[in-house]
Amino acid sequence: MSGFNWGKYSKPIILIVFVAALSILRPAAFLTVSNIANVLWSVSVIGIMVCGTIFVFLLGGIDLSIATLCGFCAVVVVEVIHYFNDSVLGLFVGILAALAVGALAGCFHGFIITRFQVPAFLVTFATQSVFMGLSMVVTNNKIVSCTSPKAFTAIGSMKILGFPLPIYFMLIMAVLSWFLLRKTVFGRYVYAVGGNATASEISGINVKKVTILCYVLSGVTTAIGGIILASMTQQAMASTGSGYTNDVITAGVIGGVSLLGGEGTVPGAIFGAVLMGLLNNGLNLMSVPSTQAGLVKGLVIIVAVAFDALQHADQSRKKVKKIAAKKAA
Amino acid sequence: MAETILEAKGIYKSFSGVPVLQDVRFEVKRGEVHALMGENGAGKSTLIKIITGVYSKDDGQIFWEGQPVEINSYQDCQKLGVACIYQELSVIPPLTVAQNVYLGREPRKGRLIDYKKMNEMTQALIDKYDFPLKPTTVVDNLGIGQRQLIEILKGLSQDSKLLIMDEPTASLSGKEAESLFRIINTLRSEGVSIIYISHRLEEVYMLSDRLTILRDGKNAAVLEKKDIIPAKVIETMIGKVVDESAGSKKMLHSEDSAEVRLDVRGLTDKTDRFRNISFQVHRGEILGLGGLIGAGRTEVVRAIYGVDKAASGEVYLDGKKLDPSPKNSIKEGIGFVPEDRRNQGFIPLLSTTKNVALTNYDIVKIDGVAINDGDELAMSKRAIEAIDIRPADPNKPVGLMSGGNAQKVVLGKWLMRDLKLLIVDEPTAGIDVGAKDEIYQILENLAKQGVAVIVVTSDLQELLRVSHRILVMRKGDIVKEFKNEVVTQSRVLSAGQGVEEEAEAIEKAEEGIV
Amino acid sequence: MKQTTLRRLISIGMLAALILLFSAMSGSRFLNADNFIEIIRDASVTAIIGVGVTYAIITAGIDLSTGASMALVGMTMANVYAYTLWPIPIMLLCGILAGLLAGLVNGFIIGRLHVPEFIGTLATMSIFRALTYIIAIRDANGVIMSQPMTYSSFVVLGYAVGYFYFVVIAMIVFVVCGQIFLKYTRLGTEIYAVGANPKAATLSGIDVAKVKMVVYTIVGFCCAVGSIFTTARLQSATTAIGQDFEFNPIAAAVVGGVALSGGSGDVVGTLIGAIFMVTLENGVRKLGVNTAYQYVIKGIIIILVVMFDAWYKGRMERKARELSAKEGM
Repeated sequence: MSGFNWGKYSKPIILIVFVAALSILRPAAFLTVSNIANVLWSVSVIGIMVCGTIFVFLLGGIDLSIATLCGFCAVVVVEVIHYFNDSVLGLFVGILAALAVGALAGCFHGFIITRFQVPAFLVTFATQSVFMGLSMVVTNNKIVSCTSPKAFTAIGSMKILGFPLPIYFMLIMAVLSWFLLRKTVFGRYVYAVGGNATASEISGINVKKVTILCYVLSGVTTAIGGIILASMTQQAMASTGSGYTNDVITAGVIGGVSLLGGEGTVPGAIFGAVLMGLLNNGLNLMSVPSTQAGLVKGLVIIVAVAFDALQHADQSRKKVKKIAAKKAA
Repeated sequence: MAETILEAKGIYKSFSGVPVLQDVRFEVKRGEVHALMGENGAGKSTLIKIITGVYSKDDGQIFWEGQPVEINSYQDCQKLGVACIYQELSVIPPLTVAQNVYLGREPRKGRLIDYKKMNEMTQALIDKYDFPLKPTTVVDNLGIGQRQLIEILKGLSQDSKLLIMDEPTASLSGKEAESLFRIINTLRSEGVSIIYISHRLEEVYMLSDRLTILRDGKNAAVLEKKDIIPAKVIETMIGKVVDESAGSKKMLHSEDSAEVRLDVRGLTDKTDRFRNISFQVHRGEILGLGGLIGAGRTEVVRAIYGVDKAASGEVYLDGKKLDPSPKNSIKEGIGFVPEDRRNQGFIPLLSTTKNVALTNYDIVKIDGVAINDGDELAMSKRAIEAIDIRPADPNKPVGLMSGGNAQKVVLGKWLMRDLKLLIVDEPTAGIDVGAKDEIYQILENLAKQGVAVIVVTSDLQELLRVSHRILVMRKGDIVKEFKNEVVTQSRVLSAGQGVEEEAEAIEKAEEGIV
Repeated sequence: MKQTTLRRLISIGMLAALILLFSAMSGSRFLNADNFIEIIRDASVTAIIGVGVTYAIITAGIDLSTGASMALVGMTMANVYAYTLWPIPIMLLCGILAGLLAGLVNGFIIGRLHVPEFIGTLATMSIFRALTYIIAIRDANGVIMSQPMTYSSFVVLGYAVGYFYFVVIAMIVFVVCGQIFLKYTRLGTEIYAVGANPKAATLSGIDVAKVKMVVYTIVGFCCAVGSIFTTARLQSATTAIGQDFEFNPIAAAVVGGVALSGGSGDVVGTLIGAIFMVTLENGVRKLGVNTAYQYVIKGIIIILVVMFDAWYKGRMERKARELSAKEGM
């Protein structure tokens, strides 16, 4: 084992090559400041959400309810604002309500997963339907638009130094999430639990508590994403955020987060989100409609995970052989 | 005399240059129960794996019913008529007994499975060997003993002439074991040969017609039924030559006057793997916990540390009653090094630094809420230096390190704390000799500093080497204490086997002669 | 009582309770022969695809791509319909081939590339959907449109003979054959073995990867048949076919007692589950309640069933342990 670690850097390299190809193919449209700002703006919601879901990925878990929870939180914030007659107070209450919904949803996921030992994908798969239903019930399955108060629309579109606000939110979330993961004891525990839950338990870590907290964080960032998405589009409906589950997972995977747990960093995930934005943008510039971009995203997920999984399988085969040889000796 | 069914001659095998089997001869006759014994690492499982085609031999020949054969895969050996009853049970719980027995070989009518015929065939087998099973029972509802019988049945359904049973009673209850013994006797009378591998001497005495003992990868002896006497078997397993060297005999010395650190009172397991366990460990004492695998030692220490909850009983540390859980135990000054290093001991993807710090964030400097990386790193450097972890790179993922160094990382994290008690379970399993000595040294140094140490080990030499006092467990009870006396490997082994009186008498007689 | 028998009784009990509840609440509007025929008809496609999904779940897997596979199959047939003069049977054959291929791709990704089932099929879900858009029928301006498919020899598949819709007949054939295949063939037994104890299956000479490949290919086949009946009934193919459909067969299997941990359950259970889910939909509609509540109720029911199964399994295991502990005394 020496030299360049291909396993670690292969994904970014593949994507950088891809992006470079795009820049060469369409230099005029692709490499402009406004286009870059546009790309960042368009990925900011995904970037914000991946800052929270990365905790779940690091545990080796998954959250399939990201998209509909995001939509439901968007609906909540917009409906609350209307309830308070489009006042700033309404905005304030709406944001709190949406955050509470996200946190509660995450708490529920974490509780069911740890208490009943149910696979994460199944629980979040079921709640995905619940959140969608709730959005439809609340909105009566209509688009709810919301253009005031000004403070609300500002969240998604106000510009500071030429860059829209959501980009700053993304950066703030990234720093917070990075700090939590990289600098705090909780962050250390997340990597430990994702890497080896049994050993973590023996080392005195409360695995259940860590797991629940991770899902809460995922829920909260999803709620933040929903609030910002509602503001950006100035509307909310049941299908707000649809497709984001895959996008967030793809962003994580591209950024080197292993869906098998224990591996990945926030800068990597943000990098993944941005690259995915570039990818979307590039496909768009090449006149590939967004409905078809799913092809590329799906392939990226499969290639990246297969790469991890095959390495895993190979290593464990080798390990078994080694251990067997040792035991026999 | 019955004819020979399997014969292995001049078997050699080595792993990366280390000889594991040297000129081993092994022979099984038709319709006999042939026991295979030897200490851990004597080469039993390697020999079996060569016979079943899992490993290839370096040299030697295998004859099946007099004909030379090449066995390159488990399928090859099945074709000859050899079936191995796996320790880790390989039955499929949602299927019925008959479905399991004929899995992959179901009798069919056209394309569909003929269940009627399959059940009849299974019933016929069950009747022939008198098994307590029904073909249509779903395995889900059966105990471990009956599941094992299904595996045996599976072997018999393939017309196996030789069954290999590796520690078949390890996880059976007394009743289940008795049922198995009865079936083994039936099989023998039907002309089926059995290779019976066990650590439990009493079973071997009771069942086997002949016994092959391996020691250090060589034939130590082949004993006929009449020669299978406990003292003789133990003596042969351990070896006279080794017996006179250091490590097989030791004068134990412990001081009861030192203050009691750990006091365990009446600890009893929920599922009866141990019961009413009481003992004390003193300041600066290394207590060895010996006995066979499955005697309940690991379960006891896990309950003391709090990974598993005991049904009843109390644990006191320095006179203070504990509420055992890993978190509390760490807080109170207990360290625990689990038996299965890779799955329980460390986080493979994380670096030495993070593994060492994992239990120590209460003592790592924290600035506000942020871990002081410098202090964390300094701690791991202290650990690396203190016990010579190699490579000395604090950022190396522990999963990529050798067994010995990974174990040092696991130990290292406890050395960074003020420990009162350290529990280590099989501390040197799969570790090379040099690293072993270093680990013993670490344990001895800890004891000198006043830490109480409990060492659980199946390696007799290791037990004698490190212990100041030895407790031996057998089937969930503490059956023997050795302290302030000369103890030999054979005495510890006999105590674990439950044949100590007999062995002691012989030993005394021998000493008298000398 | 046998555990599986008890579980079957529970799902039948749930269905009976639901029927009683709706009968009490909406009387003859719910409780009439035509409505029951409608319920069975609506449950048929879910049950047909449920056969394959049941197999996948018994191997301890999952398939999230069934809806997208249906769309891909539908659009493949639409292309044949629009651009060739091939007879209808050939068109159906092309659809079935597309389904088989989609399933084979899933099987390869899962069996050979070792990608976890839910990630792999989540990725192919977006890939198949994107492919559907790519091959979608467009008008002269390149705008995607739905392709009417009105040849009488095709739309007849959406009709009924007397009381029996063809789709119901197909469903009965699928369920009966699916159950026989599962219980009376070697491969069926191997499916259980792979899900219950993959290590033991390998030791018994079963090629786990191959079994998984076959299973997902069967799912693809079921999707193709489901899609044929769906498009025949709609008399057109659109890109939206099967949107959010993947939820239904999984929900049906879960309610019907197919454990997600693998190794247990059967096709008949899934059929009961499918009828349960459709009855729920139908009853809620007949009550005049906002249909959006369905999503909420469905999600909650899945969570409840999964929690119950986990609790029950834990209880049985504890009992078994206590029993063997007692015997050891």
